Amino acid sequence: MSGSTEGPDSSAGGLLQLEGLCRRFGALTALDNLTFSVPSGQVVGFLGPNGAGKTTTMRAVFGLTDLDAGTVRWNGQPVGQADRRRFGYMPEERGLYPAMQVGEQLEYLGRLHGMASGDARRAGEEWLERLGIAERLQDKVEELSHGNQQRVQLAAALLHGPDLLVLDEPLAGLDPSGIDTIGRVLVEQARSGCCVLFSSHQLDQVEDLCESVAIIDHGRLVVDGRVDDLATSGPRRLVVRIEGDRDGMWARHLGGVTISEVAGGEVRLVLDDTVDSDAVLRAAMAAGTVTEFVFARRRLSEVFREALA
Amino acid sequence: MTGVVVLIALALIGAVRVVLRTRRRRDASPRQPTTLPAASWLGDAGLVASREIRERVRGRIFRVGTLLILAVVAGAIVIPTLIHSTPQPERVGVVGALPAALRSTMATAAKSVGTTVHIVDEHDAAAARAQLRSGRLDLVVVDGTVLVVNQPISSTDTSTTAQFVAATARSLGVARALADAHLSPAQSSALAQARPLPVHSLQAGNAKSKVNTTAVVGLILTFLMLTQYNTWILMGVMEEKSSRVIEVLLAAIRPIQLLSGKVLGIGLVAFGQAALVVAVALVLGAAVGSDLLHGSAPLVLVSTLVWLVLGYAFYCWVYAAAGSMAERQDQVQSLALPLTLPILFGYVAAITAASTGDASTLLKVLGYLPPTAPFAMPVLVGLSAVTWWQFMASAAISVVCTVGVARVATSVYRRAILRTGRRVRLREAFARAG
Repeated sequence: MSGSTEGPDSSAGGLLQLEGLCRRFGALTALDNLTFSVPSGQVVGFLGPNGAGKTTTMRAVFGLTDLDAGTVRWNGQPVGQADRRRFGYMPEERGLYPAMQVGEQLEYLGRLHGMASGDARRAGEEWLERLGIAERLQDKVEELSHGNQQRVQLAAALLHGPDLLVLDEPLAGLDPSGIDTIGRVLVEQARSGCCVLFSSHQLDQVEDLCESVAIIDHGRLVVDGRVDDLATSGPRRLVVRIEGDRDGMWARHLGGVTISEVAGGEVRLVLDDTVDSDAVLRAAMAAGTVTEFVFARRRLSEVFREALA
Repeated sequence: MTGVVVLIALALIGAVRVVLRTRRRRDASPRQPTTLPAASWLGDAGLVASREIRERVRGRIFRVGTLLILAVVAGAIVIPTLIHSTPQPERVGVVGALPAALRSTMATAAKSVGTTVHIVDEHDAAAARAQLRSGRLDLVVVDGTVLVVNQPISSTDTSTTAQFVAATARSLGVARALADAHLSPAQSSALAQARPLPVHSLQAGNAKSKVNTTAVVGLILTFLMLTQYNTWILMGVMEEKSSRVIEVLLAAIRPIQLLSGKVLGIGLVAFGQAALVVAVALVLGAAVGSDLLHGSAPLVLVSTLVWLVLGYAFYCWVYAAAGSMAERQDQVQSLALPLTLPILFGYVAAITAASTGDASTLLKVLGYLPPTAPFAMPVLVGLSAVTWWQFMASAAISVVCTVGVARVATSVYRRAILRTGRRVRLREAFARAG
């Protein structure tokens, strides 16, 4: 890596591997032999309930927490300080110097990642422009709204053109346009050869943005795979809508059928191999006027819930 | 003088480097040395340092603080010279004849109490009394035998005029006794020129009066600077923790780089300020004729600066470690107090010694302990109570301890800085330190 040509393309093809990470805090096990990898060119969603160990995992990538066991590898080698300079990080608890100007702050952080002063300044301006807050360059961070601070934080993670982006809850607390902007940036970064790992609780957005997901619980990996594969795997699913029905009571007692989700009058059912869908349709028609009856892919929220069940 | 300070600064940078090397060796991944430029640590620490300098010097606290220190130091220089400033000459009215010999006796008496005499010949006693009452004269001598003052002089009065009157009364009385004894002029003159015999002491003398101002100004400077800049370090570290920017910073650089950059940056600001204060003190001292630079004072000044560097280097790590354990003002109180105690203790012990001129055994012991040496050593130098090698030994002890403290503090910092919520307990911070 060192002697070859420097440029945006030379970074393509990175691979982050987490191998057997273990971390205990007293009696609490935060990470329990966690293993998965993040290939380049993909946006990988990192999911899990609160306290599952997502933040600890991300901190481990940056050496911000000691590991009791396990290795974080970048392109096959244990991650070192020089590698970390080529990573971008957006921690869960956002942090910038409150009384420092946005532009100066970005320049400083860029320089800490090894950029020359002028390059860092230009990159900072460009990113503020792309994130739609170019006019806030001279403002102090504490004068910005929460959403705009988050944009600056993202710019700080991006401005040195990282090979790996690790973002802890980048979408939390953003309005829909903010989510769109940041989502677009993440996909662009992945397309240009960057490894992108981000955690989120907004599963709908994750489903839209990610090619792959890793779901952890109690510090262990429970599901890992491409979103498409996960959506088409597992038992058949039916989406049924019946006029006037809000809670899917009619399906409660059908054998081999479980109610997966009920939302806005739409009932999602999981069918065992033994169940005949016609029998379900008959039960639905008996319950009222059926306005929707389709086979559907498994939603990420269902993958998530079933993985943790 | 500047050379010594620069040398010590270099020595400290060297010490940081040693700590850092061992740490880097521990962290290093196999392929790192080729990708990481050799000087990059100074680059990162330098970046951190230059941000600190920029942000600090810009701040209002710094400007006001500098003015405040300048005011205190200026006060310490100017006020003693005002108190000991040349008094007004004593105005003496003479009625009747007064031989030239007695006039010079009066001048000698004035000199002995640190003043001068201005003799006015008055026509008669009434006019002289009127002048005395109106305060235009301090003393009237009638026929060389009677002394008249306006107000009675109490025996406890220590004013220059009272001392002068007493000395004059004594001298004129002696002169009269000599005249009454009918001695030859040569004998009278020999007696009149009698001088007290020199008194020798068994202990080595000290140039107390000459040292005082410099040592005291130096102590105040050291105390203010150590307190102010260590607080900056404490608050600076705490703010990075509470604003959570620390996580972003530590994702890019190592804790030791961040910490040494911060310490270096704030240290350079401190020394810029100290240099300014010393320059102003020297100019001001020369202007008002202070005894700031007489006798052993230059030596005291140099050792004050040396110990300012050493004291800062020692304490900055401790305060940084304390700052990393708290993230709110209220959490920091219980940590900061025990840290200021040795500073206060050293300061009080040293300033007492400087004002009494007594190099006590306690002060000599404090002179070798790194937490109190920054205060005790310059005073010991001022009192000529240490040799150069003792000074160097104390400095060496301080440097060695500083390296040790820096290692422990960095370890505590690394452990505590990312723990948020309640204050990190000492036991947790030291749990696996080192």
